[in-house]
Amino acid sequence: MAMTGLDIYKLTPKTNCKECGFPTCMAFSMKVAAGGVEISKCPHMSEEAMAKLSESTTPLMKAVSFGQGETEYKLGGETVLFRHEKTFVNRNRYAVLFSDEMPQEQIDAKLANMKNVHYVRIGEEMKVEIAALQYTGNKASYLALINKVKASGLKVAYMLVCEDLSVLKEALSLVGDEKPIVFGATKDNYQEMVGLAKDSKLLLGVKAAGLEELYELVENIQKLDYKELLLDTGIASVRDAFTNAVQIRRTALKEQDRTFGYPSVVFINELAKGDKFMEIALASLFTMKYGSILVLEDMDYARALPLYGLRQNIFTDPQKPMRVEPKFYPINNPGDNSPVLITVDFALTYFIVSGEVERSKVPTWLGNPDAGGYSVLTAWAAGKLSGSVIAKFIKESDIESKTKCRKLIIPGRVAVLKADIEDGLPGWEVIIGPDEAMHLPKFLRTMEGIN
Amino acid sequence: MERFLVIGERIHCISPVIRQAIADRNSAPILQRAKEQLDAGAVYLDLNIGPAERDGEEVMAWAVRLLQENFDNVPLCLDTANKKAIESGIKVYNRSKGKPIINSADAGPRLGLLEVAAANDAMAIALCAKEGIPTGVEERIMYCTEMLEKAMTLGIDPMDLLFDPLFLVIKGMQDKAQEVLETIRQITEMGLRSNAGLSNVSNGAPKHVRPIIDATYCAMAMQCGLTAAIVNPCDPRLMETIKTCDMIKGNMLYADSYLEL
Amino acid sequence: MAFKTSVQKYSGNVCNLELGTGEKKISLGGQNVIPFYSFDGDTGSGAKIGLEILDIYPDNWVDELKNLYGSAANNAAEWARLVEEKYSPDFICLRLVGADPNGLNKSVEECAALAIEVAKAVKLPLVIAGTQNHEKDLKLFEKVAEVLEGYNVLLLAAVEENYKTIAAAGVTAYKHKVAAESSVDINLAKQLNILINQLEVKSENIVMHVGSAAVGYGFEYVASTIDRIRLAALGQNDKTLQMPIITPVSFDTWNVKEGASTIEDTPEWGDQTERGIAMEISTAVGVIAAGSDAVILRHPRSAQTIRAFLGKLI
Ligand code: SF4
Repeated sequence: MAMTGLDIYKLTPKTNCKECGFPTCMAFSMKVAAGGVEISKCPHMSEEAMAKLSESTTPLMKAVSFGQGETEYKLGGETVLFRHEKTFVNRNRYAVLFSDEMPQEQIDAKLANMKNVHYVRIGEEMKVEIAALQYTGNKASYLALINKVKASGLKVAYMLVCEDLSVLKEALSLVGDEKPIVFGATKDNYQEMVGLAKDSKLLLGVKAAGLEELYELVENIQKLDYKELLLDTGIASVRDAFTNAVQIRRTALKEQDRTFGYPSVVFINELAKGDKFMEIALASLFTMKYGSILVLEDMDYARALPLYGLRQNIFTDPQKPMRVEPKFYPINNPGDNSPVLITVDFALTYFIVSGEVERSKVPTWLGNPDAGGYSVLTAWAAGKLSGSVIAKFIKESDIESKTKCRKLIIPGRVAVLKADIEDGLPGWEVIIGPDEAMHLPKFLRTMEGIN
Repeated sequence: MERFLVIGERIHCISPVIRQAIADRNSAPILQRAKEQLDAGAVYLDLNIGPAERDGEEVMAWAVRLLQENFDNVPLCLDTANKKAIESGIKVYNRSKGKPIINSADAGPRLGLLEVAAANDAMAIALCAKEGIPTGVEERIMYCTEMLEKAMTLGIDPMDLLFDPLFLVIKGMQDKAQEVLETIRQITEMGLRSNAGLSNVSNGAPKHVRPIIDATYCAMAMQCGLTAAIVNPCDPRLMETIKTCDMIKGNMLYADSYLEL
Repeated sequence: MAFKTSVQKYSGNVCNLELGTGEKKISLGGQNVIPFYSFDGDTGSGAKIGLEILDIYPDNWVDELKNLYGSAANNAAEWARLVEEKYSPDFICLRLVGADPNGLNKSVEECAALAIEVAKAVKLPLVIAGTQNHEKDLKLFEKVAEVLEGYNVLLLAAVEENYKTIAAAGVTAYKHKVAAESSVDINLAKQLNILINQLEVKSENIVMHVGSAAVGYGFEYVASTIDRIRLAALGQNDKTLQMPIITPVSFDTWNVKEGASTIEDTPEWGDQTERGIAMEISTAVGVIAAGSDAVILRHPRSAQTIRAFLGKLI
């Protein structure tokens, strides 16, 4: 955030000594803000003021990273509190919690779930990104747990949840090369923890009782010149954790205080207390508002489907339309007699249309030519959904080999394209579909002669 | 961002009707002008009682009560050079709808009004002038910073000051128009709020042209960052322009009927 | 330096609106902060939860729900009573899908008769949802408003094409509340409110339905629309956007693949009901966190979770 003349003025000695060549400190400050003169022209600026000024050019919220290679992820670096102002840049990541006191079957089950929940949705790979490994007192089992997760073949980053320095050192000897997150520093151990994290620039979790203590602790850690931090929102209560998540983000971005300019971690597993649906509710809340790493008890499709969908939506660029890949999608297992339906590649339109086609239960080939990611009418107006575009799309796809049916249904709103398409596609019958997607089920069922 | 602040100018002792009404303590004409302006979209009303050297304290208190009692504590701009009158007006002022605005302090003889503002937690219009007409952007900004510094030592929140670059009549001083706009731009860049006394900019121009000059000048000033103006809210062209600028600047959300609000 | 809580004060607030009558009437809105930001100010009435029932047997619903409601689902009044007694939501949403001209096309008289039966069977406030067919809804709401006079229900929803009749009949003549539907178009949301205000309908009688989508399905448009509406209402004190917001979450979440696909279709996804509930919960939390003052849900388990969730944040 650039500083205004007023902000800079507050840092001057306000003596109007004129040595800078300006009549007043205010006039000087204003010129500095406008970029017309260097701040160093005032010989009376305090060290602290200079530091503040140079800080003002660094981002309010630091972008940090963890993991290595395929499992490397970035967090933080956000610049706004609401996504309509500017894109949220680094999506939150989901972790699953393991601990040394868990029975082997439970660990195996979680690992199996993590393997199972791994899919691609609109070009994005969806999976658990982090294994959170919690130490509760049994070192041998803890190290065995780490080895087990490591041997599982899962591509995950690690978060070592362990405050015991000696255990942590041994754990790091196992996975230290993979740049795990170390969690975490407390007011009692932070010096040693920083010592441990600093060499390999490991992301260091910071944990305290309440925001005041957390703030103080971060200040102390920063004094040790360490700034690869991840702030814990605490587990005292849901209300506190949410307040803390909001306050941390707001203190950084609105109050422009970089002490809290770091991403946060929320131990949702602790807050939800074993209630899976509550875990989904809380994970949704912290995905919307300011959680950077969300630790869950487990990951299955009931959790993944809503959470990854929500995350994908919240972290899209508000300026850029979300698009689905232009191609033919088989809906309701279409065969070589199923009709062809055309819509656009704007994700919202595509999803609504595909949802309605699914609801109709009529086997259909749903195609979306490259229409620039616009809605039907916008694409048409921009010339991106024309008769020739559709004809070309049909020809270039292999749809003519997939179905013998030559019925092509187009959106009712672009009925004018019928003749153009038929000119370009001899042998096809263009049928005008309904104006609204919600009328598709009835339309398709009537057309196919089903009840 | 904040909506543009429209201050209605029509309760002014320069008008014979108002002057007479004040002299007679006749409320009807004053209330009528207040109602017209509020209906037309004014947020604050300017209350100019003139120099009122003799009975200023009594007049101001009477008029503040009169307007606030009749119009749900409408926020007011207390407009007089008489410091005592301003103090007596603030004494009876109800601030539930907004702080009183003192109109106006300057960098010269009226600098003391900033102290009144500080002592009473009031806002103030701060005219970027000392004696006579400032000669250019630099001089205006110098006065601006002088007043700002004074205000800050008095403990006034800079956001409680509306810096007025001193708008000048176009006809005769056309060459100054750009200076005024540039001053607003610089005031805005400093993170400060500004005000325009738009009433006189079109003086002397043909009657049908005046609203066009007023509205256009206001629009250009808003683009430079102007945050408030003392205007005639009963001028529909001007009010439509202000609303449209507010909408384009994102200070309010668009709806087809936005002009009707 | 010590930590100082960051506080944001707003000049505007959300209107307070009452729904229903008697001991179980509810309030929507009243807050002057973003949801759950109690450190900023007054969080108002808190979000309210409604359960959805239909005027016809819910053939398309998951079996688990049909079993849960059993034969009660054959009769809307009985169904409503069961919902009230067993699941005590804040309100019941009676959805008149049977009136849809593309479906059973039941007459408005038949629907109105059923609505009054439901109203008599329960003490909870009612939200009456129409068919989304503008012409049919116009007639439907006119009739339903008439027979339900005195129950102070919410008519969901009026759109640009039919708001005049629905607002006039619903609010002016029979003293109900009207929801203005704007399909993720913030300028239309504002415009509809202005138009309804211009019919001499006060803001305290209007609810906004600004559009809904399941998470994963363009939900960001819904979230940002609500964010922007709330910021305008609170920050810019925009009186034309200070009405409470209702979001019929279940109308979407059970239709998207994640909630609609059966275990036979997608065995790897596991139990369908569980997925449906999960989608419903996630979407509900999403709109509530953005600023929705009421949500309509389908599964009692979802309602129970959202209630517990809200309890943890107050
Ligand atoms: S040199 Fe520094 S202290 Fe002196 S007037 Fe300039 S800004 Fe102020």
